[in-house]
Amino acid sequence: MTTLHLVRQSAFNTNDFAQCIEIINDNDAIVLLDDGCYNLHHPLINNVINQNVPINVLAQHAVARAISIDESLFLQVSMNDLVSLTCNHDRVITWQ
Amino acid sequence: MINIANKSLAILNSKAPYGTTAGKDALDIALIFGSFEQDVSLFFQGDGVWQLINSQDGEIISVRDYLKTFSAFEFYDIENIYVNKTSLTERNLTNNFHIKEVQVLSQSEFSKKLTSHQTVLRF
Amino acid sequence: MKKIAVIITTPPFSNLTVTALNYIETALNTGVEIIGVFFYQDAVLNASSHIRLANDEYQTTQQWLKLHNKYQLPLHLCVTAAEKRGLTDCNSVQLIANSFTISGLGELVELNNKADTVVQF
Repeated sequence: MTTLHLVRQSAFNTNDFAQCIEIINDNDAIVLLDDGCYNLHHPLINNVINQNVPINVLAQHAVARAISIDESLFLQVSMNDLVSLTCNHDRVITWQ
Repeated sequence: MINIANKSLAILNSKAPYGTTAGKDALDIALIFGSFEQDVSLFFQGDGVWQLINSQDGEIISVRDYLKTFSAFEFYDIENIYVNKTSLTERNLTNNFHIKEVQVLSQSEFSKKLTSHQTVLRF
Repeated sequence: MKKIAVIITTPPFSNLTVTALNYIETALNTGVEIIGVFFYQDAVLNASSHIRLANDEYQTTQQWLKLHNKYQLPLHLCVTAAEKRGLTDCNSVQLIANSFTISGLGELVELNNKADTVVQF
């Protein structure tokens, strides 16, 4: 039973991302979208990298914010991919 | 009325009770699901834990005290109320709640319970 | 094919709502069934026929109308949240766009039971 976490807020502004990390499980996946893209610059991102949870970034949303995506660490995804991800997990939790 | 499969719902509360309407809006959903005999559980994390703390009085600041409705959960068959222990500790809070049936869970138990539900809505 | 229900909580002038619209349109284009959209909290303002966004801004309301017409996408408005924000059709002035259905939270119960997954935006 896997969960997809949609992170839509910057951790510099709210605790949403920190709370998401508190409850994330090994088989889950994260998507950074909207202001959640700024979390690529937040130290908390290292906690997720260390946990080996796949981190997807909605490419358009990051590019729009001049956030570059390190492809060795993160997966760039499109809106089509996001639709597939929401269909392929048992539930979606939105952190906004 | 509704006569279809009962999919379990978890409502994850993350906001303090009076600064926004999130707590009240989440409560309204919980009560409707309860009255339709749906399987609904309430979770409190982060500033959401303030919704459970005893001796609050919103009426002093002209908030209609929706927290009092929490004591009616048993009439709606809402029996599963979980609070994140870490969130309490971070805020230097003890288990002094205004309702009885609250279960304090460690981070991993909280996560496990939350994701045992088919739908999770966060407010 | 998966059945998805969407609950929206953000107002028409927020870019978060644009993301939700893009998600829904993409899903519908790829054959995913969106069984309904439930508008809660400030999202009920999406149904206002009196919201005027500047011409050079993204026209959220028109986009909802387009998806409703093209895909018969059900758009459910939470009546309590709507009335709280001045949206009511009980007088002679029409405030709520035709593409929206006035519903209660009971509709959310039904959407939750019928959908494989509920996505919150």
